[in-house]
Amino acid sequence: MLIVTLAFFVLMVIGMPVAFAIGISGALFFLQQPALPFTIPVQRTVSQTQNFALLAIPLFIMAGSLANRSGITQRLLALASVITGRLRGGLAQVTIALSAMMGGVSGSAIADAAMQSRMLGGEMLRRNLARGFATAILGFSALITPIVPPGIGMVLFGSVGQVSVGRLFAGGIVPALLLWLAFSLTVSLIARRRGYPPERSSRLPRGEAGKALRGGIWALLFPVLLLVGLRSGVFTPSEIGAFAVAYVALVGFLVHREMNARSGAEAIEASLADVGAVMLLIALSAIFSYGIVMERLPEAISGAIVGQTQSLIGVELLILAFVLVIGFFVDATVLIIMLAPIFLPVVQNLDGDPVHFGIVFIVAATIGNFTPPVGAAMYAVCTIMKCPVEEYTRGAVPFFIAAVAVIVLLVLVPEIVLFLPDAIFGR
Amino acid sequence: TGAAAQEDFTLRFNHVLGPNEPFHQGFLQWAENVEKRTDGHLTIDVFHSAQLGVEEDIIEQIRQGANIGQNTDAARLGNYVPGISVINGPYFIESMADVDKLNDAATMQAWQQQLADDYGLQVVCFDWVQGKRHFFTNQEIHAPADLKGVRVRTPPAPIWQESIRALGAAPVAMDFGDVYSGLQSRAIDGAELVYPNITAGGLGEVLDYTIETGHITLVNFQVVSASWFAGLPEEYQRILVEECRTAGQEASRRMEAAASEAKAQLQEDGMTVITDIDREAFRKAGEQAYEALGLSDAKQRLAEEIGK
Amino acid sequence: MHALVRAGIRAETWAAGILLVAMVALVLLGGVARFLHVPLNWTIDMATCAFAWATFLCADIAWRRGALMSVDLFTRTLPVRAQRGLLLFNYLLIALFLVFLVVAGFWLSWTSWARSFRGIPWISYSWVTLSLPVGGVLMLITTGFKVRRQLRAEPFASEGGDTPC
Ligand code: NA
Ligand code: NA
Repeated sequence: MLIVTLAFFVLMVIGMPVAFAIGISGALFFLQQPALPFTIPVQRTVSQTQNFALLAIPLFIMAGSLANRSGITQRLLALASVITGRLRGGLAQVTIALSAMMGGVSGSAIADAAMQSRMLGGEMLRRNLARGFATAILGFSALITPIVPPGIGMVLFGSVGQVSVGRLFAGGIVPALLLWLAFSLTVSLIARRRGYPPERSSRLPRGEAGKALRGGIWALLFPVLLLVGLRSGVFTPSEIGAFAVAYVALVGFLVHREMNARSGAEAIEASLADVGAVMLLIALSAIFSYGIVMERLPEAISGAIVGQTQSLIGVELLILAFVLVIGFFVDATVLIIMLAPIFLPVVQNLDGDPVHFGIVFIVAATIGNFTPPVGAAMYAVCTIMKCPVEEYTRGAVPFFIAAVAVIVLLVLVPEIVLFLPDAIFGR
Repeated sequence: TGAAAQEDFTLRFNHVLGPNEPFHQGFLQWAENVEKRTDGHLTIDVFHSAQLGVEEDIIEQIRQGANIGQNTDAARLGNYVPGISVINGPYFIESMADVDKLNDAATMQAWQQQLADDYGLQVVCFDWVQGKRHFFTNQEIHAPADLKGVRVRTPPAPIWQESIRALGAAPVAMDFGDVYSGLQSRAIDGAELVYPNITAGGLGEVLDYTIETGHITLVNFQVVSASWFAGLPEEYQRILVEECRTAGQEASRRMEAAASEAKAQLQEDGMTVITDIDREAFRKAGEQAYEALGLSDAKQRLAEEIGK
Repeated sequence: MHALVRAGIRAETWAAGILLVAMVALVLLGGVARFLHVPLNWTIDMATCAFAWATFLCADIAWRRGALMSVDLFTRTLPVRAQRGLLLFNYLLIALFLVFLVVAGFWLSWTSWARSFRGIPWISYSWVTLSLPVGGVLMLITTGFKVRRQLRAEPFASEGGDTPC
């Protein structure tokens, strides 16, 4: 895997498109393994497109594109400007709030970030937010989604670590709100320092606000109705993207009457390149992760951590720091499957609570999707926002720090995670 | 051990179960015993939770001769040699004793030969019994008629769906990861699984009733590449098979114990277990699955050979 | 550009768009049918099949429109001639990689014809696998056009494509 990693960096440096850099360097692993069939890279690439959970990604990109033509985005923006108009960096606050609301709906950080980049990204740039800052918050705010129930990461952790999924669902809620608060404060601080002006300096006349609220009702109902559909069993988390597309299109055609067959087709046409760029990267990265899994790299290194200290907090902080570092290169799903069964018993031996550890572990692992040099969600937002990775990275540092601060707080005060599940399910 | 033992062999063994499942411990036991008996010349590296890839992909890699193994079931092997899928049919194989007899059945041996010769798939052993599958629902069920319109999650393969349809329910193909929230939101009304699946997935939180139908006994197969297997010294081949059977039988017993434990745990947590069901009606209904799948002849032949 | 090429691009765009819309329609139909207690399981099968084809057709569209992102932090500091040299070198590597995907993809589709698609006996999984080598051929053609444009372009003009900012 050393050659693979080295090749990946060299290819990145010479300006190779990231998707190909990941695919080509990953394929080098198979050159060193003559015993393995040479068709595995093809098979794994195709296999990614047979994963029903990933199907939500193209659908949410389409939904974002259609929202722009169906009048939903414009009305949402008008409404947002009424609510957050006096806040600095208003739209950045909107994307955080939207992720917290949409989290329970899409459950997929990549799908959520991609859709919101499509919907809000252009307008954020028009309002003179720096590209790196806008792209970073569009990405990092989606970190909230996997811990708002029913996130797929929690189901995964629950089954790998034999932890109650219901308790995990309940345990995610307060940390999600905490992440919202942390990101929101970070945005305010940055906006103040950079002098992003509020959109308005004075109160709106009452009529304006009412008008915006009435206009925005269908946009506001979007996450609400999807959530209702999900909770009432009309559809499952994996299917939700299709319902998002249908809702946005129906509102555009029938309610706002701003969309016709032609503009609908144009919206879909405009999403094709984004779908291709994001999905090609995700598909090809399956080649890259194969070697990491087969050589059990994270497992091998994790052995060194276990036994470094006997204090629960010390062990948890070490584990999470390790997960953050490995997460630079490895996808969250792989991290959860490989490392949860190793670390959970260690934590439990020191009387750590599995639900508490699960939530902080999922957040730490998911951060990996947003950090360079390998991060599917990061490349998804950067592609749609046409933002260079280095600009994104500079913009992301404050949000990375904010997220880590939340993780540390959760480790130090487990009750923040646990009081809700304890209240609902008993201790 | 013998003089042939110069060369070293490695088998990477993949399975979809979690690391806490009794079968994972069983695979590790198999690996340990084989390594010990071959003085470390044949090692098995076990990967849980489908880390190396989805089952169907791995089976194709095995067919191409990779030194990879996979724990799989009769339904998937039936994609290559259709007759084998009868083992996965309703109310046919019902105990470990049945599986033992299956090992000596001529038809079964012919199918295995065909898998190896025509498709490059070597069955090492199939003494791994995951246990009886039951219906787990949110409503009381006593007979096939009660299952009408009840949406039950099944693995996404026609053989499963046909079996569940024959028993009266409406089969829903769904990823296992969606089952918890699917049950919670009532997108589905139930699932059909073995007891330890329910506790492992925390599904007891969103399910009220167990209907102890025992409609399918899930038998697992350990499959490796036929060409890789042929390349092993004969002694190693024998050790690999023997230890597979020993570890499998032990894991099956542990699985049985785990099922009782899981059942007790679920009952303690408030699950109602329904045992007064019309077993004859379920059995009769199950027959339709074999007809729908064109497997009636294969079933009858195999049934005669194992004396059922 | 030849009329033929333009027609091909149009056909590819339409096909990709129709596949995406079909995915939405199939998933919706499956959800509604299940809600009405008459689950239709083939909808998921068809949707994931469409997903594979949509992915690799869209990948070619993204490649052609320059939507695949890359890091130009280092290359943009180089002299123009060196930039062009590196770009052509990248195209060469990509072409080699695509040739590998195409050859291995067709070979896999051919040799694993017996593998059924989601357990459906009369549909081969190779119909899914084929999406990658076919998409690979299209991306190879696109790469060819990119190389030709670079060789012809005088003086060097960044495509703006492979480095989106
Ligand atoms: Na967001
Ligand atoms: Na990363």
